[in-house]
Amino acid sequence: MSIKNIRNFSIIAHIDHGKSTLADRFIQRCGGLADREMAAQVLDSMDLERERGITIKAQSVALRYQARDGQSYQLNLIDTPGHVDFSYEVSRSLAACEGALLVVDAAQGVEAQSVANCYTAIEQGLEVVPIINKIDLPSADPDGVCQEIEEIIGIDASQALRVSAKTGLGVEEVLEAVVQRIPAPEGDEQAPLQALIVDSWFDNYVGVVSLIRVVNGSLSKGSKVRVMSTGRSHLADRVGVFTPKMTDRESLAAGEVGFFIAGIKEIDGAPVGDTLTLDGRPCAEPLPGFKQVQPRVFAGVFPINSEDYEDFREALHKLRLNDAALHFEPETSTALGFGFRCGFLGMLHLEIVQERLEREYDLDLITTAPTVVYELLATDGTVSYIDNPSKLPATGSIDEIREPIIEASILVPQDHVGAVIKLCIDKRGVQKKLLYLGNQVSLVYELPMADVVMDFFDRLKSVSRGYASFDYRFDRYQPAPLVKLDILINGERVDALSLIVHRDTAQRRGRELVERMRELVPRQMFDVAIQAAVGSQIISRQTVKALRKNVTAKCYGGDVSRKRKLLEKQKAGKRRMKQVGSVEIPQEAFLAVLQVEKK
Amino acid sequence: MSPTPLPLSLYVHLPWCVKKCPYCDFNSHAVRGSLPEKAYLAALIADLDEELGRAGGRQIESVFFGGGTPSLFSAESIDRLIVAVRRRGSLAPDAEITLEANPGAVERGRFADYAAAGVNRVSVGVQSFDADKLTALGRIHSPRETETTLEELRRADITNVNLDLMYGLPGQDIAAALADVEQAIQAQPSHISHYQLTIEPNTLFHARPPVRPDDDLIADAEIACAERLAAAGFERYEVSAYARDGRVCRHNVNYWRFGDYLGIGAGAHGKLSQGEPLIVSRRWKNRHPQSYMAAPVPPVDGETLMDAAQLRFEFMLNGLRLTTGIHECDYQVRTGSEIGGLRRELEILEEEGMLLSDGDGGWRASALGFRFLNDLQARFLPPRPDAGVSGPGNG
Repeated sequence: MSIKNIRNFSIIAHIDHGKSTLADRFIQRCGGLADREMAAQVLDSMDLERERGITIKAQSVALRYQARDGQSYQLNLIDTPGHVDFSYEVSRSLAACEGALLVVDAAQGVEAQSVANCYTAIEQGLEVVPIINKIDLPSADPDGVCQEIEEIIGIDASQALRVSAKTGLGVEEVLEAVVQRIPAPEGDEQAPLQALIVDSWFDNYVGVVSLIRVVNGSLSKGSKVRVMSTGRSHLADRVGVFTPKMTDRESLAAGEVGFFIAGIKEIDGAPVGDTLTLDGRPCAEPLPGFKQVQPRVFAGVFPINSEDYEDFREALHKLRLNDAALHFEPETSTALGFGFRCGFLGMLHLEIVQERLEREYDLDLITTAPTVVYELLATDGTVSYIDNPSKLPATGSIDEIREPIIEASILVPQDHVGAVIKLCIDKRGVQKKLLYLGNQVSLVYELPMADVVMDFFDRLKSVSRGYASFDYRFDRYQPAPLVKLDILINGERVDALSLIVHRDTAQRRGRELVERMRELVPRQMFDVAIQAAVGSQIISRQTVKALRKNVTAKCYGGDVSRKRKLLEKQKAGKRRMKQVGSVEIPQEAFLAVLQVEKK
Repeated sequence: MSPTPLPLSLYVHLPWCVKKCPYCDFNSHAVRGSLPEKAYLAALIADLDEELGRAGGRQIESVFFGGGTPSLFSAESIDRLIVAVRRRGSLAPDAEITLEANPGAVERGRFADYAAAGVNRVSVGVQSFDADKLTALGRIHSPRETETTLEELRRADITNVNLDLMYGLPGQDIAAALADVEQAIQAQPSHISHYQLTIEPNTLFHARPPVRPDDDLIADAEIACAERLAAAGFERYEVSAYARDGRVCRHNVNYWRFGDYLGIGAGAHGKLSQGEPLIVSRRWKNRHPQSYMAAPVPPVDGETLMDAAQLRFEFMLNGLRLTTGIHECDYQVRTGSEIGGLRRELEILEEEGMLLSDGDGGWRASALGFRFLNDLQARFLPPRPDAGVSGPGNG
């Protein structure tokens, strides 16, 4: 197929605005799957994605479309995630495209996340085609939404297409628009191969599978391919496209998007953002690749069973292959043993990684309370970064602790603006901008990141009945009166429970945390003292009183099996706890701080 | 035959009750229509013959008719069973023969007949002397019926009597628990079993738990009751068992000292040690009375050989219930293994304050170990759960 008949595009949409349904319609219309194969929402392939209704990883599908001009086109749809935590993934997907469909719910209107992603697309030089979806809903207001697109995003919406992905209405017109309005890729099929690795993941049977965009030249099955950053060469075992089924091809040419398998077994063998070229005829320069992302939220993650440590490490390496945003390095905790300090883009990212580790790799993990990264100015003038509260040095050597400040953009219907402002004030926010745009209000706040990562997103959704949307970017570090809050159990400092908090809230946080811990730590054979301390000063104390007895005395006519079961059950319960000194602490207690936050 | 055969007991399970109590997870079944006494008795005797054959002529030191409510069975049936044991020349002349009876489920004058059949010890399911508590427990009897039953026992001249009492009952404060103990003492039994009400899986109470006093109050009530019992001359010799004048339940002591026992009747468990080196096996019978009666002889539901780890666990599990604890000499005789490896664990527990040593091979739970007996016993659990030991009551 000529490069002129190829179109590479993404769909930008907020969660639930109908991206997956629209993608399914495309696949159906272009005959990618028989009806019986159409499990709803094919593109979200991880169980987790489907359950949560969000897309995490880039996926692609190559569609064959017979357009009204009589020509046949190859439309490559590259999926993008729709959650605030994953904006980095979006720019990766967009790098493989020449155009993007901006899908907006006709009843809900424009949301902040779509605005941010739309700007990313425009910055990367993509053609943006606005689509108003769900026009079949009784509450649909397509005209109002068009006006919002023009006012909030600032692009021309006069040509916006009005569709219902659910009923199929207008879907044909969208495919026509993809052909007519999105430019064909540019590239030289005769030039030396330059292919961008958009995504890579590990498959237990074939090794590393990479999603690639061929920029110049062509990549044939059987050719010797060089990964430019490592300089290592591999034989291309298979190349092809997803239709969405994995379909082998003889080659992929300039402008095409597809998969590449070269029997690479080491998981760092084909890094995302790297360039592939031919061993025999290499290109001069690698492609620009992607900007490294900085994780913003850190937490210690520890296997409950110490024997799982090696499996855990391997699982993290495999996950990182297609999740460049995931950072980790070994961490040793006196309370929790050997584990990893992991860095995440945000709380959802953390939750998803933890769930994937538990589900796909069958690991039982304890995650400590997440923290942001603090900047530390020492008395000797050196600057360092702290991603683990237990690593905060003694107060004497600290000149200043600085906390990260973000700039949050929030879009909210007028009715809920009061509640959202109150929430921002609660979270120590400083208002930077307030703009009325039709029925919506655009707010910009500066907020301490520590107050945002925990539960801001959930709270925002609840105070606005789900209507507010938000996006944020890191702005700067700013000095703040921060102290380390320690938890002591029977006099022993539990490193995994330390927190960095504002001095003004330390008293309250300490008290709440100790109270919550008292509820979570079961009574044991002796009294357990739970204390909160700032430095050497104890600011709160609770006691879990000793259990009086643990005896079961029945006599079952010589049958000990029930008694044995009971003892085994009690013992298994203890195995799920972590021993700190002589005290057994359940997993939940390590997350008590979060539960206090969410109250 | 091992050189010094262990004491051997016989347990006979009679699985019917007038009504199933909401807290009870024993293998008991409410009587529907009439008791199939004759058919059950025939099955028991066939079962008994087979078991006595296995035991190879060893003498039976104690017999225990448990249930269910054994007192629903006629004295004639009990007599036929005892005769069957005796006829095989297997019953020790001084054997302890206990029968469980529930107030409200004994016909008038029946105790004298039981005694005539050879029953020399009766265990009465009193549970409480308080009418409200009995109602809360779903018992069919009233305090008045308890009095009648105790009066009947006196009339039959049966003096070796146990009273079962429960504490930790819904709405029961310390004074009420003490009042029950007081009344039990007044009845001058030889033995009192003082059990805490516990909620077991597969019971009505598990599905609809009653509100019970808090754990601390229950612990205080237990201490107060134990003190009162001690003052009245009842010596605590096991977690829940108190005896006057040394009149312990020999049958139960044999379980706790990890002796051998044959089990006949629906769901009954047995344990038998044979040979040199020692082979210890467990077997258990079909649980449901109908399938028990229908099964070919022997009506065995399952059988397993116990390995060293199981033997060690069960020896400790049982022995530590006794206030006198265990003795290293018994360990070798009853498990076939040297105490060797176990001694280190015993010493660690001594350091932790859970066990006391008499310096001469005897080990017993300390006051702390006795209060946390489950934790102490769990220290001897075999490394991995073994599917081999399962039986009635599981599921």
